[in-house]
Amino acid sequence: MTEVTPEPTNGLMAELQERFPGAAQPAPEPQEGLTIARDRLVEVATYLRDELGYAYLSNITSVDYPEGTNGLPPRFEVVYHLYQPTGGPLVLHVHADREDPAVPSLAPLFPSANFQEREAWDLMGIRFEGHPDLRRILLWEGFDGHPLRKDWHEPYYEEDHKPFSSRFPEGRPMPAEERTLLRRNLRYPPGWSPRDWRPMADTWGYTPHDEVAHQKNPTHPADRVVLNMGPHHPSTHGVLRLLVTLEGETIQKLEPMFGFLHRCHEKIGERNTWLANMPYTDRLDYVCSMSNNLGYAIAVEKLLDVEVPERAEYIRVIMAEFTRFLNHAVSIGFTGNDLGIYFTAMLYALEEREFILDLFEMTAGSRMMCNYMRFGGVAHDMTDEAVELARELAFERLPRFVDKLEAFLTDNELFRARTVDVGVLPPEQAIAYGCTGPLLRASGVPYDVRRAEPYSIYDQFDFDVVVGTNGDAYDRYLVRVGEMRQSLRILQQALNRLPGGPVMAGKKKATLKVPAGEAYGRIEAPKGEMGFYIISDGGPNPYRYHIRAPSFINLGVMGELCRGHLIADVVIILASIDITLGEVDR
Amino acid sequence: MLEQFTFVGFLLVVALFLGIFLISLSWLLRPKRPSPRKSEIYECGLRPHGEPWVRFKAQYYIFALVFLIFDVEAVFLFPWALAYNWLPFYAVLEGVIFILLLGAALVYVWRKGALEWM
Amino acid sequence: MEFLSNLIVNIGVWIKGLLVGGGVAEHGAALVVKAIGAVVVGFFPLMVVVFLIWAYRKIAARMQGRLGPNSSGTWAGPYGILQTFADAIKMLTKEDIRPQGVDLIPYNLAPILVVFASVMVWAVIPFGPGRGLIGADLSIGIFYILAFSSAALIVFLMAGWSSNNKYATVGAFRAVAQLIGYEIPQLLAVLAVVMVTGSLSTQDIVGSQDVIFLVTLPVSAIIFFLASMAEINARPFELLEAESELVCGYFVEYSGMKFGMFYLAEFMNSVAVAAIFTTLFLGGWRGPWVDQAPILGTVWFLVKMGAVIFLWMLIQITLPRLRIDQMLAFNWKFLVPLALVNLCVVGLVNKGTTEGFPGGASAWTRGSILLGANLAMILATWGMLAVGERQARRRREAWQAAQAGELEVVV
Repeated sequence: MTEVTPEPTNGLMAELQERFPGAAQPAPEPQEGLTIARDRLVEVATYLRDELGYAYLSNITSVDYPEGTNGLPPRFEVVYHLYQPTGGPLVLHVHADREDPAVPSLAPLFPSANFQEREAWDLMGIRFEGHPDLRRILLWEGFDGHPLRKDWHEPYYEEDHKPFSSRFPEGRPMPAEERTLLRRNLRYPPGWSPRDWRPMADTWGYTPHDEVAHQKNPTHPADRVVLNMGPHHPSTHGVLRLLVTLEGETIQKLEPMFGFLHRCHEKIGERNTWLANMPYTDRLDYVCSMSNNLGYAIAVEKLLDVEVPERAEYIRVIMAEFTRFLNHAVSIGFTGNDLGIYFTAMLYALEEREFILDLFEMTAGSRMMCNYMRFGGVAHDMTDEAVELARELAFERLPRFVDKLEAFLTDNELFRARTVDVGVLPPEQAIAYGCTGPLLRASGVPYDVRRAEPYSIYDQFDFDVVVGTNGDAYDRYLVRVGEMRQSLRILQQALNRLPGGPVMAGKKKATLKVPAGEAYGRIEAPKGEMGFYIISDGGPNPYRYHIRAPSFINLGVMGELCRGHLIADVVIILASIDITLGEVDR
Repeated sequence: MLEQFTFVGFLLVVALFLGIFLISLSWLLRPKRPSPRKSEIYECGLRPHGEPWVRFKAQYYIFALVFLIFDVEAVFLFPWALAYNWLPFYAVLEGVIFILLLGAALVYVWRKGALEWM
Repeated sequence: MEFLSNLIVNIGVWIKGLLVGGGVAEHGAALVVKAIGAVVVGFFPLMVVVFLIWAYRKIAARMQGRLGPNSSGTWAGPYGILQTFADAIKMLTKEDIRPQGVDLIPYNLAPILVVFASVMVWAVIPFGPGRGLIGADLSIGIFYILAFSSAALIVFLMAGWSSNNKYATVGAFRAVAQLIGYEIPQLLAVLAVVMVTGSLSTQDIVGSQDVIFLVTLPVSAIIFFLASMAEINARPFELLEAESELVCGYFVEYSGMKFGMFYLAEFMNSVAVAAIFTTLFLGGWRGPWVDQAPILGTVWFLVKMGAVIFLWMLIQITLPRLRIDQMLAFNWKFLVPLALVNLCVVGLVNKGTTEGFPGGASAWTRGSILLGANLAMILATWGMLAVGERQARRRREAWQAAQAGELEVVV
């Protein structure tokens, strides 16, 4: 039923090579997939989408090889991960010139490429020719350089290219309280002053909105207003900025803008050792740190090729499903807040969350930033006491909570009035925009990584993939409630069958050798498909470490969903997409 | 009758005093350190882009027109309602017919599609 | 005992006696007593609100599984009863930030007027029987209330438009749409009461409620309650403020005590609406033993008002907000037609009953016939609303079908 093995892809690769002679070649070891000639990329992608059904462009990332590897010259590589909505992965590599990197854009073909290509341009400096709107996305307009390039050095850590050399002026250590941005520790390059400096570009990105605002409605003399919703707004779930052009209260154009929380997670990841990255993944989607841990561990284990003990697999599933439950509960609770319920729904959800966090604290030692998974197992065993609490939650308390939630919200007239037919996302559009998770399933596409490409031991559990029918905000709510019930089903099975034994393969090691190669590990995180694309060169830290953040890509459809809706719907649509800014901004 | 309104006059003074009193009390107690940064208009942490005082589209324009009709009608109905108790049945019926006419107007406006948020 | 049974009036008489004894002319003494009465009535809502804000926090907290204000670690007194005073002091000592480019006169006037409008309503609320326990028994009482409660519209518009802020502008525009719309059903619901009473005086309205109007005119009561919720910008219709959309709506640019005044006015308005609802539909001060001790009337009034306020809180804490177009549709396509039908039915049935019974019908007969007519209206409305319920059921069935079919899908 769920046979997804490399074989079909191999056949496919042969077919592609045959159809595009010279343009498609197998990628050199240890890379996976195909290398596509740059000038024929659009052609190949069109063929893949239209003829072979690879409609789902999941992940785009870029890698810098300043030295050149595999006998190839110095280059940039753009890596594409494509899926069929019912099938296996296909990896495409496209090489770009090191001096003037340019690759044809896939954004006109796959709307999901829009944000991801902008990210690659922003962080790696690869121009995507034909991209409708190639601007920086995470960093601000006017930032100097592209930080993920290997020759862009991080201040304080990679000494030779510090823009503001400062950490210990004159070699003298400085007390921590003096080391703030406003004190003496900051010394600017000669001839440069922050007072004289002016950003070159339209820093806040008003230009496209002003254009829309100046086009008047032909039937009505009203003026249009350009309004910032966020970053400091009660219901943008963090520091998200929605730039909105309004006519009356109707949305003419909406554009999510973010990066306020950007810390170049991927650059930090390339600096850290493999294991030291684990706690950093907690900070991606800080509501569900356990899932982030799991995704990263699975990606690295693909390279390491270790066997995870059975008990550890069960504990991983238990933790991941509790995290899913927690995330959906909190998400629905905050939707209530955005609807204007005076905190009540949110506090009901947070009450249950406290119990789950107690469980996490008992096992991982930390409530939110769990740092629990390890390569080849988990950090600590679950004590009997923790198992007892988990059983109480999964069998008694949480099912009651879901029933209560449904009793309060599902048939609530006002709740239905605000969510039914709001932000309708048709399935084709959902796939084209690369949406995943409840957002995609609510549109009626039964795509769940736990079924499509079972990881861990999900193939041993009995659960249903919940799908919606209309793809509106109400269906997303129903899908979340359904997934909470399915999570409880999985939890009950896992807790009943929890075996004994060790929780870690081999001995605990501080450093580990990861064989050279590339791997893409993906899991069904609560918010959607979370992918970790990692490249190892055999060194102590990752050569490239890229995250496919579900919130980031799901947010790409936001502008489309909100068009023509009222200002009050924007917050509901945003809440129903369910984002975490820690993950969007990375 | 008019003597009743003296109380309303007194209350008017009290009500105005209440507001002014609270504002002036806080004027005495509060710190006063204005700065240009502080007095920026709130737009979610960014400098406002463009004017708020534009020809804002009132999407309920027709509702407002319908409101006028109904408000005036309600004023006409008050004397009728006051006199109701000593009106004969046919006079009440006349009033009801008047209301029904207004109801018909509402249905007409509704059917015309004017009661829509545009 | 004699003195206590009619405490408030007797205090007034006593003061007047003192003044006359002190050589003040009879007329002047009456004026002084009236002035003192005005101060008492003017500060009454403020006092109620001080308690109400605490109660609101406490009740909301209990409904949400929290403790709410309490004494642990603070000076807020037992059960946090002093929390409101702490809030008031905080508000008073906050800096008042004057934003750039606001239109100063309306901007500064709005917070004063918003409190003004909600205090003025209290002039005609009867706290007890007779002329002693009502500020001014105006012959146009209820009309006066409606006039002042719709004055709030101007204040909201002033505050929103003068703030030089886009969110406030949107809030101000919503204010106009909402408040003008809901005035109509409110007026029409009151008209039904006026019709049955035959007077606009609030004291007469209370006096004619041998059977409370909530029972004889339930449709009017429901319409009035809903429209009032909208008029005071309470939760299901809380669109002017709409925290999650417009941040704070029309008063987003206000800080310090000016913000505090809007906050205060919100609670004052809810108390005022509760008082008006009590007067119109719950029989005001009427209750057992009021004949013997008129002071009991005030107690009954406060108890009934408290019940209405509790209902208001319940709605505030649990219900989500409507959208602006849905709110207008609810008003114009549901409440206004229903109010018109209600007016016709009440007018005809009531007249028919009085004419139909040759000897004049008793209050109870009239009441039960009116109740029957109202129940018929409610049932008819219910039947019409069931269309929406059918749509919901169809959708649920489609959902279940999708889940059943899902098992055959491969991925």
